[in-house]
Amino acid sequence: MALLQIQEPGGKTAKALHRLAVGIDLGTTNSLVAASCGGSVEILPDTDGDYLLPSIVRYREGQPALVGKEAKLGLIEDAENTLSSIKRFLGKSLTELKTQNKYLPYKFDESRSDTSPAIVTVDGVKDPVQVSADILRKLAKRAEQCLKGPLDGTVITVPAYFNDSQRQQTRDAARLAGLNVLRLLNEPTAAAVAYGLDSKDQGNIVIFDLGGGTFDVSLLSLQKGVFEVLATGGDTSLGGDDFDYVIADWVAAQLSSKTESEFTVNAQLLQIANAAKHQLSFDESVQLSFDDWSASLSREEFAKLTEKLVSKTINTCRRVLRDASLSVEDIDNIVMVGGSTRMPVVREAVAKYFNKAPLTNIDPDKVVAVGAGIQADVLIGNKPADSFLLLDVNPLSLGIETMGELVEKIIPRNTTIPVVRAQEFTTFKDGQTVMSFHVVQGERELVTDCRSLARFELRGIPPMVAGAAKIKVSFQVDADGLLSVAAQELSSGTKAEVQVKPSYGLDSGAIEQMLQDSYDNAQTDMEARSIKEAQIEARQLISAIANARSVDESLLPIDESRRIEIAVDELEAALIDAGSNQIHALIEKLNLVSGDFAARRMDLTIAEALRGESIDKVNSQ
Amino acid sequence: MQKNYFQLFDLPETCELNIDALAVAYRELQSEVHPDRFATASESEKLLAVQQSSYLNEAYSTLKSPLKRAGYLLVQNNIDIGKVDQNDLSMELLLEQIQLREMLDELPKDASALADLESLKKDVQEKLHGRYQDFSDSTGKSNFPEAKIIYHELQFLYKLLAEIESGEEQRLEY
Repeated sequence: MALLQIQEPGGKTAKALHRLAVGIDLGTTNSLVAASCGGSVEILPDTDGDYLLPSIVRYREGQPALVGKEAKLGLIEDAENTLSSIKRFLGKSLTELKTQNKYLPYKFDESRSDTSPAIVTVDGVKDPVQVSADILRKLAKRAEQCLKGPLDGTVITVPAYFNDSQRQQTRDAARLAGLNVLRLLNEPTAAAVAYGLDSKDQGNIVIFDLGGGTFDVSLLSLQKGVFEVLATGGDTSLGGDDFDYVIADWVAAQLSSKTESEFTVNAQLLQIANAAKHQLSFDESVQLSFDDWSASLSREEFAKLTEKLVSKTINTCRRVLRDASLSVEDIDNIVMVGGSTRMPVVREAVAKYFNKAPLTNIDPDKVVAVGAGIQADVLIGNKPADSFLLLDVNPLSLGIETMGELVEKIIPRNTTIPVVRAQEFTTFKDGQTVMSFHVVQGERELVTDCRSLARFELRGIPPMVAGAAKIKVSFQVDADGLLSVAAQELSSGTKAEVQVKPSYGLDSGAIEQMLQDSYDNAQTDMEARSIKEAQIEARQLISAIANARSVDESLLPIDESRRIEIAVDELEAALIDAGSNQIHALIEKLNLVSGDFAARRMDLTIAEALRGESIDKVNSQ
Repeated sequence: MQKNYFQLFDLPETCELNIDALAVAYRELQSEVHPDRFATASESEKLLAVQQSSYLNEAYSTLKSPLKRAGYLLVQNNIDIGKVDQNDLSMELLLEQIQLREMLDELPKDASALADLESLKKDVQEKLHGRYQDFSDSTGKSNFPEAKIIYHELQFLYKLLAEIESGEEQRLEY
């Protein structure tokens, strides 16, 4: 006989079922996965006990791809088919990539140069989203083996300065890897969580995050468990790799001629440069050699070569402080994140600027993943929800192109998310019935200096004299930092909406196609998988509603309660043998009939929070 | 949600707001409605959380900024701040603004102008402080037409302050 479940007294959650959730740091150079194991969050190792998964994928003909350290050998042996630092490719066009990095050892499908960069490998053409998905899959598999069960949810970290296209593509990669993403979390915020939870600190924290390919500075205020991002800045194309390029350039300038094929030379140069950079974090000078050439590089010389890169990072710190209207003296702690902050040149420059030694006690390679793991555990519901809260901002201004190629900013940078903002526009010509919108992201005044995110049209505007129509354009940024835009003509109610997809990315259709392709040989698998996904979603919904009712049943009139019960029963029945479409339809229905209940619960929550607030104030007076 | 921004945070409807109390109330409310609290909830609850949380953010950013707060207070008292009447602005004020702007434009474009910018900034800040007090007095007496005139003056002054600051940024090469 089944045991009866008894609810914990006073608890808001009906039952404490432990769910498996992980935090993933999808890095340029290395990736990690972390999860809560018996109270504390730990990085999950592979079977050899290694924590870092090199973000390298080697594609092979007729065999599954190698991911991680198994792929590393391919960097020299098989440079064309071994893809590394692929995070730098996300959300960019091929043209952009080539201007940033002349050491790219890959063959590109030039016909796709203005869309997403497509790399030609022996296993077919690969897209940055597919490569990222392969890395995510490997990490998910590691986690499932460690935790002995399928994952219920993941938190994936992204640089705070990632733009909308880069965020969309990260989400697409997770989707392609079959992961349920609870939240995209900004890396610096994750690092702050990792450092900030044990101590009941209050104050201002700067997170200086220099990774392999990206650079972020975030300024957070921590008050009573609420992390509020005050300002953020950075450069998605600046990282440890650039320090390698500087050394590679220095070596190349001293070489007389190149003998071998260029790909191999470039790859070898980069390896020598990278090794020298690492050595310089320990020694005062390093000996480099290539064929019959050899020379030594001192720390001092290296500092000179990289002066521009380092001062770029310090300038960003100044900018961020100014955006938050704070000065160096207001900063209580500086946290160093990312392997590249091991370089003494970087640490010294940061300490000098802030006049304070930065915190380095958590391994800079692991700190982001640990923070993501903590957040995943909270979001999935394993931890009490009131333990902490992250309030993040959008890193770049979002706007619309107006007459004369100017940008009208709708949501300025450093606005706390989620956010909804609207602005009214009007027609330019008499009788104009169509209006086209160009959504851009960036800080500059001119459209050409900003990143194009999407274009869409509003049709069916009733003909009027120029300037008479009122078109309301609304921007919404959700908690993941993803944008959607809607336009509406106010007198007629004509609507157009667009979920912004990166111009340099894949549209939804392309993602569907890739999903399809990855299950090409097993059509039945595909349906089995989508049934499984639908079932998980349905069970989550049923348990969420059961939870809500156990707490707030008093808010449910009998007829409404009955409608919800019927919808739950139907959905539960469908879980036994229905197809994914039918399950989805019933999920929709349950969402619909429980909508009013959810709204009343939310109102009550706010009222309760306010009451608590008033009591606090009375006490303190 | 029908509550206005002040009611939302349970604060008095005045422009002299206790910013610390505002921040505490904001964090308290956001801790309840933020989408992170609904990561595993139903779609309709998720949607509501995004809406409520956005509304809160909008309310907080409006009340936190002195100028936006002033404007919002007028709108709450049925004053149309979008329309500027010719009579609202005195010739004196306009001339003074033009002079200050010319001064700003004529400053050298390099770091040598920083000291002048700093002193100009102090002047403007002082003036702002005084006029904000006047605005507060007017709204306190419920003299909203007078407050509207001061509000437009505040708009000018804040715009000027922003321009001085961006002038500083350019010269400091941010």
